[in-house]
Amino acid sequence: MSYGASLITHLWPLVLFLVLVIGLISLMLAGPYFLGSRRNARATGEPYECGIVPVGSAQYHVPIPFYLFAIFFVIFDLEAVFLFAWAVAVRETGWAGFIEALVFIVILLVALLYLWRLGALDWRTFRQKRDRASVLLR
Amino acid sequence: MTMTELHALLPIIVIAGISVVLMVMTAFFRHQRLASLITYGGFIAAAVLVAGQTGSGPQQATPLLIMDEYSRFFSLVILVTSLAATMLAYDYLRRSDVFKEEYYILLSLAVLGAVVLVSSNHFAAFFIGIELMSVSLFAMVGYMVQGRTRRAVTLEASVKYMILSGVSSSFLLFGIALVYADFGVLSFSGLHSLLGLHSTSSYSQIGAAMIVVGLAFKLSWVPFHMWTPDVYEGAPVPVTAFLATVSKVSVFAIIVRFFIESGAFRLEALVQALVWIAVLSMLVGNGLALLQQNIKRLLAYSSIAHLGYLMVAFIAIAGSNLANTNLAVEATAFYLVAYIVMSLIAFGIITTLSSPERAEEAETLAHFRGLFWQKPGLATAMGLALLSLAGIPLTIGFVGKFYVFAAGVAGQLWLLVGVLIVGSALGLYYYLRLIMEMCKAPDTEPAISREETPLENRVVLSALGLVLLVIGIFPNGLITTVHAAVAVLR
Repeated sequence: MSYGASLITHLWPLVLFLVLVIGLISLMLAGPYFLGSRRNARATGEPYECGIVPVGSAQYHVPIPFYLFAIFFVIFDLEAVFLFAWAVAVRETGWAGFIEALVFIVILLVALLYLWRLGALDWRTFRQKRDRASVLLR
Repeated sequence: MTMTELHALLPIIVIAGISVVLMVMTAFFRHQRLASLITYGGFIAAAVLVAGQTGSGPQQATPLLIMDEYSRFFSLVILVTSLAATMLAYDYLRRSDVFKEEYYILLSLAVLGAVVLVSSNHFAAFFIGIELMSVSLFAMVGYMVQGRTRRAVTLEASVKYMILSGVSSSFLLFGIALVYADFGVLSFSGLHSLLGLHSTSSYSQIGAAMIVVGLAFKLSWVPFHMWTPDVYEGAPVPVTAFLATVSKVSVFAIIVRFFIESGAFRLEALVQALVWIAVLSMLVGNGLALLQQNIKRLLAYSSIAHLGYLMVAFIAIAGSNLANTNLAVEATAFYLVAYIVMSLIAFGIITTLSSPERAEEAETLAHFRGLFWQKPGLATAMGLALLSLAGIPLTIGFVGKFYVFAAGVAGQLWLLVGVLIVGSALGLYYYLRLIMEMCKAPDTEPAISREETPLENRVVLSALGLVLLVIGIFPNGLITTVHAAVAVLR
């Protein structure tokens, strides 16, 4: 049997599976279009069937400092990853390795210090900070 | 790590130290003058350390970095250039309305990346260096994004640079992975006995081609040049000055080392592709600069053309005659220095004339109209830089271009030499047009401010202008230095 033919014998269940998955998903997505009823009444577009009527728009800025999450992830989590790599070879690397790891940790600590002083750990919004400051001044 | 290795790495440690010290300082005490002085001091200290090691022979520090005459020469060039670029940026930053100290942290990190890059002879250090430099440059290109005046332009430039740089880095990394998959070697010298002699596998050929594509993005060689004018225009001018000099020169220096030490010149298809890239770079760069009204975009296109000229000498290295290849490597190194001096003056003048308070930097032809009558000193320096870029005798640009021409002729690259002549002729038109504009009678309402030029800018620009003329008239000193620096590459 040639290489190509053996590949087909081995792979046909996977191909069948893929076809079935795509078919099932299309069925599920297309079904409601034909089965569901379409009506456009006054309350159709509202999020809750009963309860408080929503007020205002959902399009506003939620102050989540995403990039700060990323930086803190780098500082705390990847530091641990690199230190694991050092930990398995700690005896072999000796004092030189210890000093190098120390330099690495100190540089990350400095970065953390910088972020703290810059106010990156203070996750209030600009307005909250300003209001708080004006309360303290009073 | 031994003490000799540590001693060889000391300049790199000093540069890394600058950014750490600045970060601690910025956390507690913001002061732009102090931050700039620490940066100058660090660069000078590192340069003195590098210069002190010159002549002490090659020193392999860890398997990743090599400190030989070639890397010392380019480290020194990068440090001096960065010092000049930082000094030119001081006054521009002082007048801006953004955080100022972080600029120095980012700049010292970018310089660290550049120095690591030119000292690397191993793919790991090579990639770390190029990424350290590029990632710092993303932030520097978008530095004015907190300011009021140039928010949108600078953000656009930064995002464009980030995405294209990311794409090029992935090309580079995949190329390295393919070469590694083929040979299992990551050091340049380890590849020398393998690359191009191994005819059975095409992995390494594709890998080498992808490495070249990745570097071509960074060097803005022609099919990969689209980002250059937009980023040059959108970035604050001091950053453009840094980007156009340090990042280009360090990448070019390492591509020369990589090709020679890994024997990539034996891949004939790749060298053939490089010939066409060079032809396109020279023609497209000069052609698009012809009718450009914006000076920053004009200089971007002219830098594309100059990197094309550099490629003539670079391709001449591929020849089999040893004397010719030595001449070609020398020509590349000499032209890189010339390119730095001329570009730094041109961008330095734009920096001096611009002010960050305005939405538009001094980048249109109108800003330069009648400059000779208003600011004769600056106009003279700009005129010298433009004449040098055009390759007029008595300037460093002429000696550089002559060197490249000689290398091309010795390597019998007639096509490339022909295009070089055509490109230079085209270049003359737009450089001289700008000089004409500077000589015209000034408008009644001058577009530039009438403020006094800051002392730092005057010192740096006169020093660079002096270098441009002195080396243009007496090139022997630099030729001897370059000759000694490139001798280690074989």
